[in-house]
Amino acid sequence: MKKYLSLIYLGLLLVGLLTLVACGTSGNEESNTTGSDTESDSTEESAADEPEEKKVLQIGTDAAFAPFEFMETGEIVGFDVDILEAVMVEAGYEYELKNVGWDPMFASLQQKDLDFGVSAITINDDRKATYDFSTPYFKSTHMIVFNEGSDITSAADLEGLKIGVQNGTTGEDAAEKIVGENSSTISKYETTAVAFMALANGDIEAVVTDNVVADEYVANNPDAKVEAITDEESFEAEYYGFMFPKDSELVTDVDAALTTVIESGKYAEIYKEWFGAEPNTDELLNAAE
Amino acid sequence: MNDFLVLIQEMLDNLGIDFRLEIVVEYFPFFLKGAALTVGVSLAGIFIGMVLGLFIGLGKMIKFWPLRLPFIWYINFFRGTPLLVQLFLIHFAVMNLILEQPNTIASLVVTLSLNSAAYVAEIFRAGIKSLDKGQAEAAHSLGMNKFQVMRYVVLPQAFKRMIPPLGNEFIVLLKDSSLGAIIAAPELLYWGRAAVGQHYRVWEPYLTVAFIYLILTLSLTYLLNYIERRLDTE
Repeated sequence: MKKYLSLIYLGLLLVGLLTLVACGTSGNEESNTTGSDTESDSTEESAADEPEEKKVLQIGTDAAFAPFEFMETGEIVGFDVDILEAVMVEAGYEYELKNVGWDPMFASLQQKDLDFGVSAITINDDRKATYDFSTPYFKSTHMIVFNEGSDITSAADLEGLKIGVQNGTTGEDAAEKIVGENSSTISKYETTAVAFMALANGDIEAVVTDNVVADEYVANNPDAKVEAITDEESFEAEYYGFMFPKDSELVTDVDAALTTVIESGKYAEIYKEWFGAEPNTDELLNAAE
Repeated sequence: MNDFLVLIQEMLDNLGIDFRLEIVVEYFPFFLKGAALTVGVSLAGIFIGMVLGLFIGLGKMIKFWPLRLPFIWYINFFRGTPLLVQLFLIHFAVMNLILEQPNTIASLVVTLSLNSAAYVAEIFRAGIKSLDKGQAEAAHSLGMNKFQVMRYVVLPQAFKRMIPPLGNEFIVLLKDSSLGAIIAAPELLYWGRAAVGQHYRVWEPYLTVAFIYLILTLSLTYLLNYIERRLDTE
């Protein structure tokens, strides 16, 4: 009898899990149905009748990536935040920026709970398969940060070293391209900040991350005794974009506003404020095409 | 993917369930590796925690209060602060002083052991206190010394009563080992997070990870039930 009970128990578990799966996908199903159900049709229409300006756009970010987005006395600030403000003013949308975290942001965009994400997100083909992107608003490359005295002169030297990256970032991709996917020498951290802590602690010997973040860390932590190098040959340049759910209708509006912001010089103003240098806007506009 | 899985994938697609089995298949070896580490770390934590916990529990029962104080504050600290904070403190501050080369797995084992020791101490104390005083008195009257009373009369009876709460503690500890993912100890949740990071999809990795944790905790539950039945004298 006991044996049967445990079998029934296991069965119930499986049913429960499947229900969970079904719940998770029901949201997608609803948005996929087109016109077959009259009731859902009418609600969709009434939503479309509302003037677009009235809708407050929900925008997600992971505010742990200074100087692009980070928390300063309880508020989200950073280069991305200022660019977003300029673009939204230009496009005439109301919006609300929420600090949701990196992985949850992707999940929410997939479920269309967020209208778009702004979080120094690199545009790449993997992501394009599931999401849409705006035109680029920032050019970035990767950097290797390591403790002074380590003999690292190029990306190839990473082979055999213990490397730290932020989980799910392009820094991870760049490192994995050199030492192999899910290699045992790579440790994937919750945030880049924890990766830097692990570097100082000696858990790892090098951190691969975006150049601006690396510069910021080196500049802010003179006591940490770290160096940062880049390797233009091994690490390709990449562009950041706003990330939308697939087939979002917002993309064209946002693209147009972004281009205006870049061309009007507003972009250069914000760029100088955060990075203290002139941006190469021609390069950005060319990359957009 | 083999034919069977392709068949299930087709079934899911037909049902309109957006679930990509190939992600689970791709990461399955990593999940198994992670689960092995989760089990290892938890077993070590349970074992060390039990031994430490017994002494701390006995320490808290010392009648002379200045000797009792350190044990009370040990329990206060480890029960009163979040496990994640303890993990950060032990990994980034304490283990640095002890180990030449920091090791996330060692830090995780130490944190889990110290933390569970605090809870186990209270469980031991409750178990011992729950026994009728007459038991110890009777043993004393037979000429046993304090150690013998504990070892042969009190602890064997108390232990039986402690199994259900100890089982609770073990299950909590096994699940808490997932915090190791934050300092990149390659346990089960770490690989779940890695899969999410690669594919930007949350359902497939996290459901699989949840399912594996469930199998682990259920096995532990059945094992504890078995031990409880074996020790049952009635």
